[in-house]
Amino acid sequence: MTEEQLIQEIVSGNTLAFKTLMEKYQERVFHVAMGFVHLKEDAEDLTQEVFIKVYQSLSTFNHDSEFSTWLYRITINTCINFVNRNRKKRVLQSIEDVWQSAFNQYDKEKTPLEKLITSERNLLIKKAIDSLSEKQRSAFILSKYEELPQKEIAAIMNTTEGAVEQLLQRAKNNLQKKLNRP
Amino acid sequence: MRTENFIDDFIRDEKQTEPNPFLTTRIMAEVEKMQQTEIKIVPWWQIVVFVASIVAVVFLGITLGNSYINPISQEITMNINDNEIENFGYYSLNSHE
Repeated sequence: MTEEQLIQEIVSGNTLAFKTLMEKYQERVFHVAMGFVHLKEDAEDLTQEVFIKVYQSLSTFNHDSEFSTWLYRITINTCINFVNRNRKKRVLQSIEDVWQSAFNQYDKEKTPLEKLITSERNLLIKKAIDSLSEKQRSAFILSKYEELPQKEIAAIMNTTEGAVEQLLQRAKNNLQKKLNRP
Repeated sequence: MRTENFIDDFIRDEKQTEPNPFLTTRIMAEVEKMQQTEIKIVPWWQIVVFVASIVAVVFLGITLGNSYINPISQEITMNINDNEIENFGYYSLNSHE
């Protein structure tokens, strides 16, 4: 069954077809969500929110773009809204994460000190990614987490390939600046 | 260069995180619950018809009530129960005084 047929089936009320579509795209949505929230439980909640939105608005999808492009757009908007909504909560969460990840790592080759250093470094990377502007962050996540070509990112973000290239370059520079700060 | 490697390592670790295998089931349950709620929602026209029918019944009741004509003539009649009238003879008899 082609994707278009699958969508038609879902619109006509076939929930099994929706399950098939979801199984196909679930991991992609989850990884993008992870890029935004860095927490499995939150990423799962976001994945659920995205697919419910998709189910509710699939009848409005007009096939002007690829389904995946449309899906990524919904994912990014949902993630940005989620992050803005939970900004305060996330600061406390990230501190908690360092301790949790430092002592819950099953890597026996690393000493506790090395684990703590890795966790702290990861927290800094998370903070640096989170401090990027919405556009830079979206482009960065789509490029790094999903390894999408610039052309597709441009289609998702409704911009030009040149603009995406610039956003990625700026994101990279900003991350370098923030992480190399003494 | 080293920072870039750290970022790549971090992203690789995050990409290795797998979603809960029951996530699909969870979402499907949510979708089905949503569908049931949609079915339960009464369409607006049904509410309008229901309210209109109640109004019509009340109006019909009032109209029927007002249109009722009493067949009994409206002339004033007086019913006198003789037993309740005080007997004048009672006052005219001196022996009772």
